Amino acid sequence: MKIVSTFLGFFFFASAFAQEDTTFNSLLDEVVVTATRSERKLSNVAVPTSIIQGKRIAQSGSLRLNDILGEQTGLFITESFGKGLQMQGLSADYTLILLNGEPLIGRMGGVIDLSRIAVGNIRKIEIVKGPSSSLYGSEALAGVINIITDQPAADRLSASVRYGRFNTLDASANGSIKRGKFSASGFINSNSSEGYTLLPGSVQKTVEPFWRFTNQFQAAYDFSDRTKLSASLRYNLEDITNSITVQNLGQNIVSAGSEVNKDLNFNPVLSHQISSRIKTQFRGYISRFQSVQQLDVKDAVVSYNDKFNQQFYRIENQTDLVFSEKFNMNVGGGYIHEGVSSNRYDSLSTQRSNNIGYAFIQNEWLPVERLSIIGGMRFDANQAYASVLSPKLALRYRINEKMSFTGSVGRGFKAPDFRQLYLNFTNVAAGSYSVFGSLVAQDEISALAANNQIDNLTPSYYKLADLSPETSTGINAGFHYNPVQSLSLKLNAFRNDINNLILTDVIAFKKNGGQIFSYLNISRALTQGLEAEANWKKGSLDLTAGYQFLLTADKDVLDDINEGKVFTRDLETGISRRITRSEYAGLPNRSKHMANLRIFYEWKNTGWFATARAIWRSKWGTTDIDGNGVINREDEFAPGFVQLNLSAGKNLRNGLRLMAGVDNVFNYRDIVNLPGQPGYNWYLTVGYDFMNKHKH
Amino acid sequence: MKTTMKGIALVMFSVLLVTACSKDDNNSAVQPLNELRATDIIADTIIGFSATGQPFGSGKFTFFSLENNRVVPSSDSNSTKWDLGFRGTTIITNSGVSGPGNGGGFVQVGTFEDLKMVAADSVFRTDVSPSNLAIPAGSNRAWFVYNPQANLVTPIPGRVLVIRTALGKFAKVEILNYYKGGVTPLATASDDDKIRKQRYYTFRFMVQPDGSKKLSN
Repeated sequence: MKIVSTFLGFFFFASAFAQEDTTFNSLLDEVVVTATRSERKLSNVAVPTSIIQGKRIAQSGSLRLNDILGEQTGLFITESFGKGLQMQGLSADYTLILLNGEPLIGRMGGVIDLSRIAVGNIRKIEIVKGPSSSLYGSEALAGVINIITDQPAADRLSASVRYGRFNTLDASANGSIKRGKFSASGFINSNSSEGYTLLPGSVQKTVEPFWRFTNQFQAAYDFSDRTKLSASLRYNLEDITNSITVQNLGQNIVSAGSEVNKDLNFNPVLSHQISSRIKTQFRGYISRFQSVQQLDVKDAVVSYNDKFNQQFYRIENQTDLVFSEKFNMNVGGGYIHEGVSSNRYDSLSTQRSNNIGYAFIQNEWLPVERLSIIGGMRFDANQAYASVLSPKLALRYRINEKMSFTGSVGRGFKAPDFRQLYLNFTNVAAGSYSVFGSLVAQDEISALAANNQIDNLTPSYYKLADLSPETSTGINAGFHYNPVQSLSLKLNAFRNDINNLILTDVIAFKKNGGQIFSYLNISRALTQGLEAEANWKKGSLDLTAGYQFLLTADKDVLDDINEGKVFTRDLETGISRRITRSEYAGLPNRSKHMANLRIFYEWKNTGWFATARAIWRSKWGTTDIDGNGVINREDEFAPGFVQLNLSAGKNLRNGLRLMAGVDNVFNYRDIVNLPGQPGYNWYLTVGYDFMNKHKH
Repeated sequence: MKTTMKGIALVMFSVLLVTACSKDDNNSAVQPLNELRATDIIADTIIGFSATGQPFGSGKFTFFSLENNRVVPSSDSNSTKWDLGFRGTTIITNSGVSGPGNGGGFVQVGTFEDLKMVAADSVFRTDVSPSNLAIPAGSNRAWFVYNPQANLVTPIPGRVLVIRTALGKFAKVEILNYYKGGVTPLATASDDDKIRKQRYYTFRFMVQPDGSKKLSN
């Protein structure tokens, strides 16, 4: 609470500091599309929304999406199955990642690895918090990240090269052309590193060498002022060296291979303004993802080959209707066909698929000038699991010129993924355990039982049922205050109640002692907290301070604590006693406090800029060591840390751009809990704009 | 392999009292039960490493009598002089395949203090086979959890072993620690340290000598 009050103190200090101005912060007049699936001024949006400008991404020296998102208020980058995004305390599985409004696929272990996404051609990133399934369907439970790339405009061509620690080489070329009604743009990026070793003398690197290659092309043709066709094509390749050394019978067994991930997205869009009041848009989307892991064991004929193919095809229409100044509507619907084949699900030749038909409607009503009310809902009819209705209601009330209130309540959902439905995986190496998807578990166990390999079934086996989507109810209440033009203050309180969480549970034991897991809708959780952000923008300075207070809990654990079923050991006497509610630290990998401070400064007429960005995270729970099922002991936490990133650069008049930076200046490392943090990281960037010279 | 002097003294005292009382008749005052503590009970400590690097012990159980609060020589393994046997994380009762006694036991979730009476409908398990013991062997099944990252064995809080002794008396046991001196090494300690100091049990227990299921005063 001390930290909260310090932060609030900063609010009032800041508001006292800047005086006089009366008009609204210019930042609030930016246009966003993600919050309502239609263009709205940020100052009119009723749900927690923020924007990261492409210029800030470049000045921060970010290369991959996780670099820049990790510096934003209330967001945290997790390190399981790649770089994932934690939002409002919810895991990476529950945030929808959009690229120009279309979902990215290729979740491994539920996570879209954000480092697969290059940020060199991003115009802006929009972040919407709170359930948004009423517009976007599955996965938009915690919120939505929409990456909006540069749209082809004038003739431009630029290139840049960056070199940094660990032999990291990043090269990009960016160009666009416009000829009358036709415009096109392209972006190519290559990103590679030799990786690093955190444990000196270890036989295997902490992060292995990798190479990533991104290619993105967009073209647009304006048939008329009313009709426009555009298409974008993106290809992403990731090649990660994979070497694993395991000790078996006192010998090192070395395996070498690679993990190759490929992404292909194609997205044609036709928009037509039927009349001044009606606009319609047809969108098509084809996305394919392939992951291949190949491991060959040295001096042996054993090889491990794991393939995963995913496809996602979608057609969609959205029509925007303006009935009057006080009432407008967005209606839409579409059809999705998605499929997966993997040798982890039976065999590569077995194609698992799901078809989804959906429709949504959203109404915006402004009964009085100060008040806007937005109601929407979406219905998703699924072939492979239960259908879902996702309603949402939001309002914004302008108290006066400087203050406004927003409130929203909505339902979000996440569909069971193919892994949870169809996985058929047995790990012979580690204890011969198996994981079976909920739709195949009974058949697999029957087959094993027929071979007399099943020892006994657990009570969970009898609970196996068709999985339901995981659902949440999210409430957000926000207050915005602009005491002066240069200062904007935002507060948002949130709570998410999540039901039907899908977890693995032991459903049977094999005769050889191996456990068999499957997926069940067995858990409930809650996350709640308070987010505050202050932005002060005056002249050359742009300063933002952000803070999030977060409490999370597994609701079943809360019930158990209330019923006195959870214990801990007194550290001094070693004697067991009941745990109290306040000792329970909630879900793992959540920090109670997170804060950031971001300073951007641009010297006028010189082309110079400098940035300093600091993030702070308080301690967070890691694993339950004493088997009491909860995180409470001090040794069950990872220590909190501060990370400071600095950068500076100069844009010369002749088109040359120079930049240097150091991330993690204090060289903070935590080998156990943050293997993805290599310590300090310096870099130098040289860029050149071939056509548009800089104007200072 | 030492039990606390205080514990020994208390046992001797109570044995004397029990003997003294039994000479009177049943109307005499019920004797208070004593909570006893055994420390550093060796449970087959590591004596070497195999060619493949796996640590091993001699493979022998250490036998312990709850009723007499002392370690019983292994020459008495085929007798009813012991109630519990310790080898690594495995705990056996004097029953079934483990011994000739009328022992048994089960794991109850709760605190040692809260277990005031063995429930009338309790089912005492016996050692049916080495893989089917009254106190199930293995991590996170009965009394302990093994954390592979930290390479540490930790007794799970709130687990009480309800034991029937070799002679059919009732007792309760709470395992407090698995490391020498009753101090678990830090997760950051060396593996060597963790191996050298493991397999030393500290536990507290209470035995009801009168044969009733009452386990509190």
